[in-house]
Amino acid sequence: MFGRSRSWVGGGHGKAARSIHSLDHLKYMYHVLTKNTTVTDHNRNLLVETIRSITEILIWGDQNDSSVFDFFLEKNMFVFFLNILRQKSGRYVCVQLLQTLNILFENISHETSLYYLLSNNYVNSIIVHKFDFSDEEIMAYYISFLKTLSLKLNNHTVHFFYNEHTNDFALYTEAIKFFNHPESMVRIAVRTITLNVYKVDNQPMLHYIRDKTAVPYFSNLVWFIGSHVIELDNCVQTDEEHRNRGKLSDLVAEHLDHLHYLNDILIINCEFLNDVLTDHLLNRLFLPLYVYSLVNQDQGGERPKISLQVSLYLLSQVFLIIHYAPLVNSLAEVILNGDLSVFSSKVEQDIQKNSAKSSIRCFIKPTETLERSLEINKQKGKKRVQKRPNYKNVGEEDEEEKGSEDNQDDADKTKGTEASSKGIRTSSENEEIEMVIMERCKLSELSISTVTEQNTTDEEKSAAASGSEITNWNRPFLDMVYNALDCAEDDYYALFVLCLLYAMSHNKGIDPVKLERIQLPAQHAEERNSYNHVLAEGLIRIMNYAAQPDGKIRLATLELGCLLLKQLVFSKNGSIIKDVHLAFLLNKFIKPMNVEYLMMDASILLPPTGTPLTGIDFVKRLPCGDVERTRRAIRVFFMLRSLSLHLRDEPETQLPLTREEGLIKTDDVLDLNNSDLIACTVITKDGGQVQRFLAVDIYQMSLVEPDVARLGWGVVKFAGLLQDMQVTGVEDDSRALNIIIHKPASSPHSKPFPILQATFIFSDHIRCIIAKQRLAKGRIQARRMKMQRIAALLDLPVQPSTEVVMGFGHSSSATAQHLPFRFYDQSRRGSSDPTVQRSVFASVDKVPGFAVAQCINQHNPSPLSSPSPSSGSGSTGRCDSVTASSTSTPSAAQSPSDDTSAPEQPQMTISGQMIISGQTMLTDETLSAVSKSSKNALKNSDIETANLSPSLIPAQQPTISLITDDNTDALSVESLTLVPPVDPHSIRTFSCIPQSSSQSEVCKVKEPERPSGPQVEAH
Amino acid sequence: GKSCLIRRFTEGRFAQISDPTVGVDFFSRLVEIEPGKRIKLQIWDTAGQERFRSITRAYYRNSVGGLLLFDITNRRSFQNVHEWLEETKVHVQPYQIVFVLVGHKCDLDTQRQVTRHEAEKLAAAYGMKYIETSARDAINVEKAFTDLTRDIYELVKRGEISIQEGWEGVKSGFVPNVVHSSEEVVKSDRRCLC
Repeated sequence: MFGRSRSWVGGGHGKAARSIHSLDHLKYMYHVLTKNTTVTDHNRNLLVETIRSITEILIWGDQNDSSVFDFFLEKNMFVFFLNILRQKSGRYVCVQLLQTLNILFENISHETSLYYLLSNNYVNSIIVHKFDFSDEEIMAYYISFLKTLSLKLNNHTVHFFYNEHTNDFALYTEAIKFFNHPESMVRIAVRTITLNVYKVDNQPMLHYIRDKTAVPYFSNLVWFIGSHVIELDNCVQTDEEHRNRGKLSDLVAEHLDHLHYLNDILIINCEFLNDVLTDHLLNRLFLPLYVYSLVNQDQGGERPKISLQVSLYLLSQVFLIIHYAPLVNSLAEVILNGDLSVFSSKVEQDIQKNSAKSSIRCFIKPTETLERSLEINKQKGKKRVQKRPNYKNVGEEDEEEKGSEDNQDDADKTKGTEASSKGIRTSSENEEIEMVIMERCKLSELSISTVTEQNTTDEEKSAAASGSEITNWNRPFLDMVYNALDCAEDDYYALFVLCLLYAMSHNKGIDPVKLERIQLPAQHAEERNSYNHVLAEGLIRIMNYAAQPDGKIRLATLELGCLLLKQLVFSKNGSIIKDVHLAFLLNKFIKPMNVEYLMMDASILLPPTGTPLTGIDFVKRLPCGDVERTRRAIRVFFMLRSLSLHLRDEPETQLPLTREEGLIKTDDVLDLNNSDLIACTVITKDGGQVQRFLAVDIYQMSLVEPDVARLGWGVVKFAGLLQDMQVTGVEDDSRALNIIIHKPASSPHSKPFPILQATFIFSDHIRCIIAKQRLAKGRIQARRMKMQRIAALLDLPVQPSTEVVMGFGHSSSATAQHLPFRFYDQSRRGSSDPTVQRSVFASVDKVPGFAVAQCINQHNPSPLSSPSPSSGSGSTGRCDSVTASSTSTPSAAQSPSDDTSAPEQPQMTISGQMIISGQTMLTDETLSAVSKSSKNALKNSDIETANLSPSLIPAQQPTISLITDDNTDALSVESLTLVPPVDPHSIRTFSCIPQSSSQSEVCKVKEPERPSGPQVEAH
Repeated sequence: GKSCLIRRFTEGRFAQISDPTVGVDFFSRLVEIEPGKRIKLQIWDTAGQERFRSITRAYYRNSVGGLLLFDITNRRSFQNVHEWLEETKVHVQPYQIVFVLVGHKCDLDTQRQVTRHEAEKLAAAYGMKYIETSARDAINVEKAFTDLTRDIYELVKRGEISIQEGWEGVKSGFVPNVVHSSEEVVKSDRRCLC
């Protein structure tokens, strides 16, 4: 069909020269149709072309000539379409017809034209036509056609589809029959259609939906979801080896799709649909399958069950996605306060209703298929038969119960009549029907339930506060939740429990009173004087485990624990005003990890693993190897530090290391008197050429031009962080330098994005060398400053002198021998082949995760003719180049061809590198800055380009890359150990680093470099 | 603009009278990227369904490639590209979507608000190709789709995209009248606020 659909202009049969867009042409088409009422092999193509042309004329007529529609209607041309369809004319014609109808309805913009097309019920006839749905393409175009129609639904057009008298709503009923079609795009279309139907606010239609279709549809839907869940569970239980992640993540995504769909229905907020849906969800799926599986893990039994982790995981998803108050409250109530009696088949007392009711909450398969039950319901609608098959009773029963309740509480008048008409049903039916009846009042009348609950909160509060007594309450689900927090072995379950608690407390639909039961404050809690000690202790235990070197706590678990603890104890002893204030702070500075994203990841469902070979993100697994253990330690430190500061209500003063406010920005006007300035010409990549002065500040280099207003002042045209800079010489021009400054990475996985990439040309080679040295020195200085601040942050006993911090002076000969072989070897090769060397670092960079701490010892012998300070290191922007031109003096004297790798030569430099490139986890302030600026990046860059050439876009955000130039031993992986906190107020312990032995060479570095001869930059 | 682009590609025709708010849903088209290798593209358009998160989510998730459209005569649509990318990323995990950045309406060069250079720069930053098209003048429409298809095909061949059960992104199968098996590639066309 693809070939033939190309040319739908012209009709292909070249009759006459008359305009194809005209009434006349339509008349001609009509003529063709009348001549070809029977589809044969000979006229098939002609008919297809005719149908296509007619559609095109109609679309044209919609905008230009209403007489076209008059004619179309007058001649009943739709009948021809139907006639063609009914002739079993084969897929060729069917597909074409469906496609053109699709296009037709999509493109009609005038209401009246639409009414024309929809009148006479022809469209409904097409909808109910039995196409060959086994044909993929027909199926696709058919469901697409229905979807197009559903997009046209509104309060007026709905009458063309829904017939109140015959109880027909083909568009909807035909569509939902495909709700479990194997093609996901068909299912998606069905969901779209149903949502488009539900959102039309037409009471009779919605009543029809509820009375005739809601129970069959929702019960089947719920069963369908449940089947997916069982499959998911099987997948988890049989896949401890992480082999089947693809399928698992697909099933998880499928479940998420379902939840989002359910939530979309609930959000439309059509009350009585929501009631039916909530009933089914709660009593047929969430309670009997998810919640029931929280306990009774060991027992056998016939009831379907899923494993604990899956059930916790899925419940968390439910609370994260669905916010419909009646549903989430009932669910939370059972989890937090319920016991097993909710599942017993015995008479269940219901406080709200004061009536006994037989109900089994059970996850069972609907007894009829959806199609069948729809059929039955329709029959019933027409004949009002008394004898009905079992399945329908399920639905009827539900309505009956609700109806009678309605009578009692006079809530819904429209149902009164139904209830009375159905009141004749015998109650004996109740026994044989495994039917679950929702406590409607409980759901819809929150006010009442709230009152009841408040009666009990006080006692429970004290019970909860006293902690141990909590077990006296028969709350098996809650007990299970608390027990799972214990993670001496691993945090497999604990993570899910934390997610569940987090999700519950952040659910907008949940009544805070419910959470008060366990004294877990809702997100915007009011003042409280006590908090849940059991929970708090559990969380602190998690942190304790995490702080142990071999703790089996994943970072994600720890962070979530921190979040919850903050939330839990936050308003303790705080006034209300302060609460508001603090809550503001919390919202402003703390960007919590996105729990919803975390829960979208199927991989956490499998047992925690340590190996990165699974491809699981670092935070969601255990560390593997020293580097990762160090990273984990660093991040544990940052999290706990942030938490402890937060709890003590102390502001963060030391982090982030680079503050945006303190940086020079473009268009700042600086006093440059007494500053060292070097004039240069900046040639950007796209050929732009500007005259600028280069100035080097503590953290930044800037390009300025003289301020016309004040002598000796300059306007900053560009400022970039020295740490993100790469400087390389230009092969055949000793006066030029290539400078690249990368945008500070917002994530370690993002590609380095150069914000400045330009060639700087100086007036002579001496100035060029001075500039290069100044930049290199500035960079060392900047890093040194940062190292000092890190040391201060970690309470490292560092001598205040900069020389020590700098600590280049390591006996190089000794180090060379201690170098790990591969680094040594590769760096040697790297000197002649930069790409090889780069790859070494690239591979280091690829370690997944956010914080990277690495110690790289590298020996870089003299480079070739034009040494580049960064060739070996900064292959990416986030991983700063390690260049440390620490050596200087001796090397300057050397000829470039010297073999400087001889061990006794002192110009060998070792740079230990520690990079903490932080993202979400690092520090809160940074984070907000990062996220803010990354958002604005595009915008800003656009604005800036007005003033600057495109490549001269200034840096928007600070980076937190910390480079140490300490000696080899300094900050080695092993030395970076976190000690578990003795008391929570002094978590900042950091084992110290052996200091560099000799500091003599440091001074040399500080000497002005000699402008003669190429500099040897060692790495 | 995007619905026109899709229709141009699937029908070879630029519909001047299209309603911008209503999208075209799964149009499909066979593309022959090398002799005997025919790939059936299914092209989805999310237009008109943004209100329902479940729907857009499902679309993203089941797509393997996307044309990220912006209107070269509309600066804002260009600025939105970034947000679209981020949003998609969230929804398609753990899969990835191969994108081609498309500057649309290049026939209206006189009203251009986004230069080719900056669009190329943005595309490069995200590792995308950039192409300028016009549905009205049939410029590069075929190329946009075939380029994307070829990119995806290469990834599939190299095993970086694997065919997975339950995922609609890429499926292999026999297309009637085609000797070789072909991969079916589902794409969603992304909507940019134009």
